[in-house]
Parts: sequence; C-alpha cells; structure tokens
Amino acid sequence: MDAKKLIEENNRKRELLTAENEAYYSDMLIYIRLQLTLSEQQSEEILMEMLDHLLDGQEEGKTARDIFGNDPKAFADEIIEQLPKEKKRDAITFVAGIVGNIVSWVLIIRGILLLVLSIFTEVKTEINLFATAVSSFSIACFVIFTLWFIFRLVNNSLFNEKRNTKKDMLKAGLVGAAGMAVVLLVTTFTPKIGPSFNFSWWASLITGVVLWLIIYVKKK
Amino acid sequence: MSVRSQLLKGILDGCVLAVIEKEAVYGYELSKKLQDIGLKDVSEGTIYPVLLRLQKNGLIRGELKPSDSGPDRKYYFLTDTGHETLATIIEEWNRISDPVNELLKRR
Repeated sequence: MDAKKLIEENNRKRELLTAENEAYYSDMLIYIRLQLTLSEQQSEEILMEMLDHLLDGQEEGKTARDIFGNDPKAFADEIIEQLPKEKKRDAITFVAGIVGNIVSWVLIIRGILLLVLSIFTEVKTEINLFATAVSSFSIACFVIFTLWFIFRLVNNSLFNEKRNTKKDMLKAGLVGAAGMAVVLLVTTFTPKIGPSFNFSWWASLITGVVLWLIIYVKKK
Repeated sequence: MSVRSQLLKGILDGCVLAVIEKEAVYGYELSKKLQDIGLKDVSEGTIYPVLLRLQKNGLIRGELKPSDSGPDRKYYFLTDTGHETLATIIEEWNRISDPVNELLKRR
C-alpha cells in the first residue's frame, strides 16, 4: 500500500476514535508528518500501526494515554529518531510546482479578465518587465513568509492543552492581510521603467493553459 | 524511570526478537504477548520505537498481510541476521544471568 492510500485509510479510521483519543493521536500525527525530511512511506506505515493499536485498545477501554504514555511529544520524538531519513519530495520540484501553478492561474485569469473587460471598455495589455519582476518577487516573499509563519503556529500549538485555535487563526489572518497590503502597495508604487511589451488576452490565456497542462501531466 | 524498567531496557530487544521468532506478529499482538508473559511494565507504545530500530538494523522485516480480524496488518518476521542476533543475545544473557542470580540469591 503506498503512502497516499495509507493516508486515505488513516483519515477513514480516525473517525472511529473517541474525542479524547482523537485529540491525542492527531497531535502526534501532525507532529510526525511535519518532519518533511523523513520517509513518507515509513512515517505513514508507523502512523497506521499506532492507529490500529489505539483502536484495538479503545475497544478494551484503554485510552491513548494508557498506551502511548503521558508525554506524547517525547514519544513522537522517539519514533521520529528511529524513522529513516529520505526526502519526501524533491524540494525544488515541489516549489517549482507551486510557483508554476500560481503563475498559470494568474495568466489564465488575466486572459479571461482582459477579454471580458475589453467588451465594455478599452484595456491596456502592456506589460512592463521591471514592474512585473518586482511584484512577482514580493508575492513570492509573501507566500514563503506566510507559510513559515503558519508552520510555526501549528508546531507551537501541538501537545498544548491550553491552545487557542481561534487566536491562532486570527494571527494567521492578520499576517496574511498585512502581507497582501504590502504586496499591493509595492505593486502600485513600482515605477514602470525599462522595456514593456504587448501581451494580449489570448496570448495570456494560451500560455496559462499550456503551463497548467504541463504541470498537470508532470504530476501524474 | 523505575528500577525494573531500567533493567528491562537492555534486554527488551531480545524479548521482542524472541516473541517474533516463535510466530510473526503485528504490533498489538506483540504488546499483548509481552504483557501476558508478565512484562507488564513495558508500556504498550514503547514497542514501536523498538520495532522501527530493529527494522532499520535489518533484524526484522514487516510485511502487510490480511489479519484474522479483517483489515491488513503489518506482520513482523525475523531476518537471517535477526536469528543470529537473537542467538547471540541469548548466549550473552545466560552468561550474565547465571552469575547475577547466584550473587543476588546469596544475600
């Protein structure tokens, strides 16, 4: 059974846990899955074994605490220490995939927007190289920073009895909104210096669709 | 850590290998068998880091097989290296336990 199937089965079986056991197990699951340098296959296999064990124990009236001990973080650390290292996925292809996906959608949406708008009004389809480079860079920084921030929020909230999910969501939302504001400001005030070229709605749409198809086929 | 669990720690690998040698087991069965035999101090979860380590060192291997109760389980088998290592552990254990028993009984 490959990792993907194991994850699906894990999702299904987890619903059979009591609320208390689910909370305990899910923290361990997220904590172990966040270790991106470990073998995904091995991580999912051990997570499935522990879930099966917990379900068996649950039927006999045992809790996750009885089975895995009172310190879930220490237990998960012991598991992590014994799991073989192996990049879950090549980091470069992973990031390139995300970036490509965003760019393809931006191009597709731009194409459709320009087409629809051109029915009602005159639109400028010029693209300035410098301004585009600056806004792309600021969007990339924004995405990376927000991901890092959310990652840290999640990791800090695990195994924490007094965690406040609503407060964390508010924090993530505020950081996201502030980042968006910065990106918008940068985009608005970047001067259009240097060369520009015309990029019509259909060229934008076709490039976007082709790029999206390439990524889609590569993923398969 | 209690005295007993400290003493157990060193020989736990041997106990796990001995159970698996008799019969291929999955995690839950293994913890049951250890407890049934009287090793009640081994908290159930502690076998998982042990199983992972034994696997990493090539002493056991896991194989997904349908279980009696329905869903597929990962059953553990001893490898050739596992058999050899278990034999060594038993030999060393006897060499330690006989004199230790002798010594502690004399009190």
